Amino acid sequence: MDRNEIIKAVNSIFIERFELEESELTPEKNIIEDLQLDSLDIVDMIVGLQQKFGIMLRDNPEIRNVRTLGDVYDLFEKLAKEHPEIVERLTK
Amino acid sequence: MKDRRAIVTGIGVVSPLGNSVPELYLALKENRSGIRSMPEWYDAFGKDIANAPVVIDPAEAKKISRKVRRTMGNAALFAGLAAQEAVAQSGIDPACFASGRTGCVIGSTVGSASSMTEACLAEYEGRRNDLSACHFFRLMSHSSSFNVADMLGINGPQLSTNSACASGLQAIGAALELIQLGKADVVVAGGSDESTPLVASSFQLLYALAEEETDEPDKLSRPFDAGRTGLVCAEGAGILVIEEYEHARKRGADMLFELAGYATNCSGWHVSHSDELQIANCMRAALDDAGIAPSEVDYVSAHATGTRVGDAAEAAAIRAVLGENTPVSSLKGHLGHTLGASGALELGAVAGMMKEKIIIPTRNLENVDDCAGILLPREIEQRKVRVCLKNSIAFGGVNATLVCRSLD
Repeated sequence: MDRNEIIKAVNSIFIERFELEESELTPEKNIIEDLQLDSLDIVDMIVGLQQKFGIMLRDNPEIRNVRTLGDVYDLFEKLAKEHPEIVERLTK
Repeated sequence: MKDRRAIVTGIGVVSPLGNSVPELYLALKENRSGIRSMPEWYDAFGKDIANAPVVIDPAEAKKISRKVRRTMGNAALFAGLAAQEAVAQSGIDPACFASGRTGCVIGSTVGSASSMTEACLAEYEGRRNDLSACHFFRLMSHSSSFNVADMLGINGPQLSTNSACASGLQAIGAALELIQLGKADVVVAGGSDESTPLVASSFQLLYALAEEETDEPDKLSRPFDAGRTGLVCAEGAGILVIEEYEHARKRGADMLFELAGYATNCSGWHVSHSDELQIANCMRAALDDAGIAPSEVDYVSAHATGTRVGDAAEAAAIRAVLGENTPVSSLKGHLGHTLGASGALELGAVAGMMKEKIIIPTRNLENVDDCAGILLPREIEQRKVRVCLKNSIAFGGVNATLVCRSLD
């Protein structure tokens, strides 16, 4: 699974749940300061990512360290390598 | 504190007959119905069930910012859109909402019936982790009230009256009292509710739902009629901007009518059986509160939902308090029963009747039997409505009566 597929899947969460335009979603964007997500949105980002990728993230310490959209892409690129079921789910 | 008078300066509605007061009022004058058969509910009931749903254009919903909208179930969304109309009509400076002197009181039966159903399904289907962080905020009992307060930036008292079908009228009564007591100068108040299969089946279980299969679902809601068989569920919201008289006068506001008096009580003996004595006592107490004699009442906007027992009890109470010559109508023949929204929503039509000096009759009223002895117009009647009584009667034995007085 290439990075573009990860980016597309992650971006879909931000477009559907937070009504952001795709053009706004660039890797350097800080999720809180630039994309204006607040604490409730961060929880919903995790819920949305869990549903999309089919893995539990709630207690994953790495999700708590993401600051930018690029950090989210990086995390899921790593998780996709560790969890083949993610690739299987997204390519279904 | 009666020297502090409360004036309505704006009204907004979301209703089965349109999502603005002018649309609703025109539809009522044209004797249209918002009730239809619900094929989308067929699986839930195993037959055709009538209902009066609201239709919201998604583009309209987006007039409310995402960060407010995300915690809104449908009831709160209805309330938010109605509040926007009410605020626009009032012409009030939105800066006053953050003065600490503006309150928000909006009630509903539950925060959001559809959100509650969704949460229960998620729980029992093992999908709890799929629920949004916003979900609980959609179903909390005061969801409409805090969401509207957030939408408008209101930071004074925020309350929610959750008394089923009296929720909206009790909210307006509480708003009147906040103003009379000097606790607020402006209150955004009203009611909202959703109709879902869960809601309709609650009435069905009690044999209180009009559920005959028919090609004319618009004829099913028949308040005060001899052939009535129960209510038809509906949904919507009615929101008022209520201001202390001097506050409204100083800014040159258009004053729609005065909230002259209010009372609420309960039967204290049965949760679902209407009590004509306590309904009458509530009406008398509201008139006493307003300092208005029964002979001065020009019109009663009745609660009457089309149930056998409820309509007869209300008719008997009206007869006992006002006699046989005061015009009475129920708008639930057109609208169905908008539940916790009804008391507030129907005031949108009352304001129009006061302004145009007419009384809109009860739709589907053809023959009267046990509701006889009160004056039930069959056609639009030309009549100056200076004083109107609005009744709401709810499960839990709750009654509420508001006295509205025109400022002409």
